[in-house]
Amino acid sequence: MAGLAGADVREAGESGAGWVPIGGGVLCPLARTQYAALATMRWQAFRNGLHSTRGALEAAASGLNYLLYGFMALGITAGLGGGAYYMASKGQWLVMPVLLWALFAMWQMMPLVMAASQQQFDLNGLLRFPMGFAPFFVLHVVFGLIDSSTIFGALGCFGIWAGVTLADPGLFGWAAAAMAVFAVFNLLLSRAVFAWFDRWLGQRKTREVMSVLFFAVLLGLQFLNPALREKKHPKQVTERQRATLLRNLAWAETAQSWLPPGLGIATLERADGGQPAAALGYLSLLGLYGLGAGLLLSVRLRAEHRGENLSDASAVRGTERRANGVSARESAGGLAALGGSGPIGAMIEKDARTMIRSLPLLYAIGAPLLMVLVLASLLHGTRFSHGGAFPVALPLCIAYAALGFTQLIYNNLGTEGAGIQLLFLSPTPMRTVLLAKNIFHAMLFVLVALTAGVLTVLRLGAPSAPWLAATAAWLVFALPAHLTVGNILSLTMPHRVNLSRVGRHLGGQAIALFSMLVQLGILAVGAATVGLCLLFGDLWLATPVLLALAVVTFIVWLRVLANADAMANRHRDELLAALVKTD
Amino acid sequence: MAQPDDIFHGLFGGILCTSAGSAISRVPKAGGAASTVRNLHFCLLVTRQNDWRVLPKPSLLCLAHMEHPAIQTYGLTRTFGELVAVNNVTFSVAPGQFFGFLGPNGAGKSTTIKMLTGLLEPTAGTVEILGRRFDASALELKRHIGVVPEGMALLGRLTAPEYLHFVGRMYGLDRQITAQRAEELLDFMQLGGNGRKLVTDFSHGMQKKLALAAAVIHGPKVLFLDEPFEGVDAIAAGMLKTMLQGMIQRGATIFLTTHVLEIVERLCSHVAIIHKGRLVANGSLEELRAGVAASLPGAEGGQRLTLEEMFLSIVGAGGMEPAQELSWLA
Repeated sequence: MAGLAGADVREAGESGAGWVPIGGGVLCPLARTQYAALATMRWQAFRNGLHSTRGALEAAASGLNYLLYGFMALGITAGLGGGAYYMASKGQWLVMPVLLWALFAMWQMMPLVMAASQQQFDLNGLLRFPMGFAPFFVLHVVFGLIDSSTIFGALGCFGIWAGVTLADPGLFGWAAAAMAVFAVFNLLLSRAVFAWFDRWLGQRKTREVMSVLFFAVLLGLQFLNPALREKKHPKQVTERQRATLLRNLAWAETAQSWLPPGLGIATLERADGGQPAAALGYLSLLGLYGLGAGLLLSVRLRAEHRGENLSDASAVRGTERRANGVSARESAGGLAALGGSGPIGAMIEKDARTMIRSLPLLYAIGAPLLMVLVLASLLHGTRFSHGGAFPVALPLCIAYAALGFTQLIYNNLGTEGAGIQLLFLSPTPMRTVLLAKNIFHAMLFVLVALTAGVLTVLRLGAPSAPWLAATAAWLVFALPAHLTVGNILSLTMPHRVNLSRVGRHLGGQAIALFSMLVQLGILAVGAATVGLCLLFGDLWLATPVLLALAVVTFIVWLRVLANADAMANRHRDELLAALVKTD
Repeated sequence: MAQPDDIFHGLFGGILCTSAGSAISRVPKAGGAASTVRNLHFCLLVTRQNDWRVLPKPSLLCLAHMEHPAIQTYGLTRTFGELVAVNNVTFSVAPGQFFGFLGPNGAGKSTTIKMLTGLLEPTAGTVEILGRRFDASALELKRHIGVVPEGMALLGRLTAPEYLHFVGRMYGLDRQITAQRAEELLDFMQLGGNGRKLVTDFSHGMQKKLALAAAVIHGPKVLFLDEPFEGVDAIAAGMLKTMLQGMIQRGATIFLTTHVLEIVERLCSHVAIIHKGRLVANGSLEELRAGVAASLPGAEGGQRLTLEEMFLSIVGAGGMEPAQELSWLA
């Protein structure tokens, strides 16, 4: 078959002039034009966003977030740098991989943990244009460069490089090379992990498998807790046990030395020991890991570039076909019992089903719980676990666990999407809708608070009665406060939540910041009350004070709820624009 | 007299084309197809009805693709798990045709369009656009096809001119041409007076018009339209029809899916119907009419069947009747 060359086609119907030559390379003229078009588009979208109050708020929130991240990153950089300096100057190369392992864990976990509050541009939308695979791949990596995890990670690498170089200036070049390759490996791996995670969330079946796995991990960690608690009273270690432990440690050390963090440090160790050939060998191995991560990302992106489609609708149709015979009446059972048969029950049932089928939401609630476990383990064995300072840890841990509610409570209409129109059309008042959502979120909040409390108590022991009462009273105060502010923000600053994607939520920056500030404020009120009561010498006083505050917040919550319809009508246009219209 | 839509069999610069558009005998390849076309002074067009006419020279350039169909699929199949969304679909669309692709909801229309435009990989079968396999020449072909993607894929935080500039540049048009075409398109679509208004603030109809403008800014040879008139007002719909017919006259091919059968009847010369993933009808409207009339006992009395009647007859409306009457509806 003859086929038509590009030139022939152009001559046949289009002037050859005016076109950028086609090509699939990373820096071919068409790719360069596309990069420029994307950069211009992103700038214009940002600039246009500033013209509205909401856009300006979003930009300000982003700026503040980055400032906050900047300070945190500087802290991490200084810490890693100091650690690297100390270990390199003392020649403690055996311990030094710990720094790189910590950096590695942070780099890989952060994109998933912070996905909900970060804006991600969906690059798959560009596939309708004549974009080659190489530019598509490059864009995925470049968009990863502006991710906060990359900024944190790169600064961490810089810190380690600076520490090692200060300790031994002769290692300047080797440290730079090792940290650069380690950074590239982490960047590619984090993009690959994110892409695969997104792919698994793209289909209902894999999404549900992941949800089950996720809960299995959560449960597993809870079983781990009593096991860890037993270690509080270590038995006499026999010589045999000691030998086994040392053997296991040696095995772990050997294993990790062939993994990227170990290879990075082995490069420096060999270079320091005057073995450049061995150092180069380890560096090459690290490079191979980078190549592997790149390949992993490439496999995923190539499938997307070829036109992989993970249509939920199709999968659902298949499931429906298999589940032939299950009537709507039968399927309405189960969760419907949560809130009765009226609109409140219907709304709770819908939200419960949505949450169960949404891994990002489950993750948002579950991830802080995992962190509570980590936090409690960190405090374990310190002065927090003995005496009066411990109880501070309980509200701290519970407050941290409540962070997961940011998406749910502070943007409670976000998952409605275009369905918000149905809420406006239905004869159910908005206050009933919000009441149903508040009831559902309150149940979850209590469940999460109890779990966080149990986890903390298991790790750190039970607090005294006045502390327990004060914590419970603080929770009773915190819940209506969260719900009140959440309802106001949900009606005035909503943003659409894409449940099948991690981090594709436009407009969540301001809400994330506000919710953080509110949570800090609620924590501060609790802390101030308890502090004052301790000053007066009677902690029992904190309970009635916090309960009185709870009554006040409850009344405010009721008033906000009563005004919900008026508020929703006032903000109807913005609600529809944010939840229904084009991103 | 033959119409441009009747290009089924043609004696074209020494090329005898079949109804599938493939060549039976070909001109020597020394100069390539386009230069051969340039050297011709006329083209003899033979239609299916053995009618013929001589086309003027400007039309020759439009007919440069006569050697190949504009769209050709072979055994196109797409499965999602156990569900076969598109099942062994083979059809061809000749250059310059206004082709209607019909089917009930969930029949596989959108899946087929996604495969034809390279947005979805077929499980089996091949797609050829302008004579080239999509999987082998995706980059070149994407430049010559226009499509309004599912959900329109607009960027809400841009203004209409900014969006069109972005799309034009992404297709590889240079700045000057992009700016010129964007302005013309915005005027044509009556979107020009919206100043700094963001796309997210546009009405649905305006967004639809903008998505259509973006789909044609690069002057595609083959245009895929999925429900283009949905939500568009009557005035704009009239303009769009004029624009699309103009494109057809200049040699473009349009592949249209819509549920508004009157539009298909008015615009399209050829129609294919997909039902439960399988192609159940394919041909010119007259061929379909004749086929359906022959199968309907009461339709022989010269009564001209509408496309709606043909469609219902082919996809079997009887099978889609509700199991029970909704007696509680007022």
